[in-house]
Amino acid sequence: MAAEVALEVENIHKRFGALDVLKGISLTARQGDVISLIGASGSGKSTFLRCINLLETPDSGDVRVQGELIAMKKTRSGENVPADRRQVDRIRSRLGMVFQGFNLWSHKTVLENVIEAPIHVLGVARAEAVDRAEALLAKVGIADKRHVYPGHLSGGQQQRAAIARALAMEPAVMLFDEPTSALDPELVGEVLKVMRDLAEEGRTMLVVTHEMGFAREVSSHVMYLHQGRVEEEGPPSQVFGNPSSERCRQFLAKLL
Amino acid sequence: MEDYLAMLADLAVRYGPRLLGGVVVTLQLVGISLALGGMMSVPLALARLSRNPVLRLPAFAYVFFFRGTPLLAQIYLIYYGSGQFRAAFEQAGLWWFFRDAWYCALLAFTLNTGAYTAEIVRGGIQGVPLGDIEAARACGMSGFTLYRRIILPTAYRIALPAYGNEIILMVKSSSIASIITIFDLMGETKLAFSRSFRLEVYLMAAALYLVITLSFEWVWARLERWLNPQREAPDLKAPDLQPPAALVEPQRQ
Repeated sequence: MAAEVALEVENIHKRFGALDVLKGISLTARQGDVISLIGASGSGKSTFLRCINLLETPDSGDVRVQGELIAMKKTRSGENVPADRRQVDRIRSRLGMVFQGFNLWSHKTVLENVIEAPIHVLGVARAEAVDRAEALLAKVGIADKRHVYPGHLSGGQQQRAAIARALAMEPAVMLFDEPTSALDPELVGEVLKVMRDLAEEGRTMLVVTHEMGFAREVSSHVMYLHQGRVEEEGPPSQVFGNPSSERCRQFLAKLL
Repeated sequence: MEDYLAMLADLAVRYGPRLLGGVVVTLQLVGISLALGGMMSVPLALARLSRNPVLRLPAFAYVFFFRGTPLLAQIYLIYYGSGQFRAAFEQAGLWWFFRDAWYCALLAFTLNTGAYTAEIVRGGIQGVPLGDIEAARACGMSGFTLYRRIILPTAYRIALPAYGNEIILMVKSSSIASIITIFDLMGETKLAFSRSFRLEVYLMAAALYLVITLSFEWVWARLERWLNPQREAPDLKAPDLQPPAALVEPQRQ
């Protein structure tokens, strides 16, 4: 029997003014799937990821998290907006997001960053949140940095702290938006290692990435986006080994 | 020279206590108006930033008026202007407030600093990095919690130096209160001058203003450091920043 569907996205469209960024993208992630989204910059892969937790509002299309549809409505001017802000908040708390620029809260220590949302969004008791945060920080390998401010950490450590922050919400799906693109080359490995561990323990993950090695070795499914459409998708062996799209072939040839 | 020093000592003994009393009045006026203006500033700044014109436009008009006209004109308008409508104020039961110069000065200062502080807070809010807000939203935070936990604490830290500036300006602008018969530090100084005809009393007043602003600056520098521990150089001796034992090279014998 196939695993339960954790995330289902159907036919997402998004335009910024005259620019048609997403022209109908769909995706289904079952529990434990690791889906890599690859493609040239401007192909819409980050925008697509941000449409899933509504950091961008899609113009049309459906997002279902663990079967729950995010209800949308049209305003009088025809804009697509969430029908219920509370539902969006609730769904967002079940989707962990890791950003390219880490986006840690700079005036809070690493530990404070990790316990912030569990306490103030989920209502977890402080002592419990701290216990869980310390376990997560140990897991990403920065337990000894818990009382340090983000500005005093390396990029790789900051990104690992950000991953711990997202994990602290015990999300159903983790969304990674180019998590290693802002890192010095020698720091990329430590972040990928953490992500690989998460994949191995069966986390459902969507990863927008330029790390082809990671996409090939860790993902269960790869999607190649080109100009707002899915140009090629399938298991990594197919997308990397024998892509049917010429564009995908060229894109990979440039990178590998 | 000795005569001059003796004269200064005489001035200090004669007028010093009254000048110090004036300092107390100045600090009260400034302290209370800053506290009230500070409370007004956050709602005002949020209204200024609101997409709803019913909130935004009045807040804009208020800030525009109080930043765009002299404090002197504002204090005259309130103190002498209210006199023209005495009957109306008496009927409304507000005359006890407007007939008192001290209350009028307090009102003018509060409205004035409220407008400036609202703009400072607005700048702080707009200076909060978008990524910080997105990270909070992505965790499911929104509305009041988002403001209370992430946006405002960051905005305050950004706004702190500018607000320190506003406080110092307010301390000095408060000397305007002396014009509507209040014996604040400047009022007492004018009185002392009119009795002694010695310019040195103004020097004494200037020194007292300097002491006020200097001690304030000292407090503010501490506050900024206390609120921004992340700006300090990391303490390399702290256990948190020690490299793991495995990475430390063994000492050579």
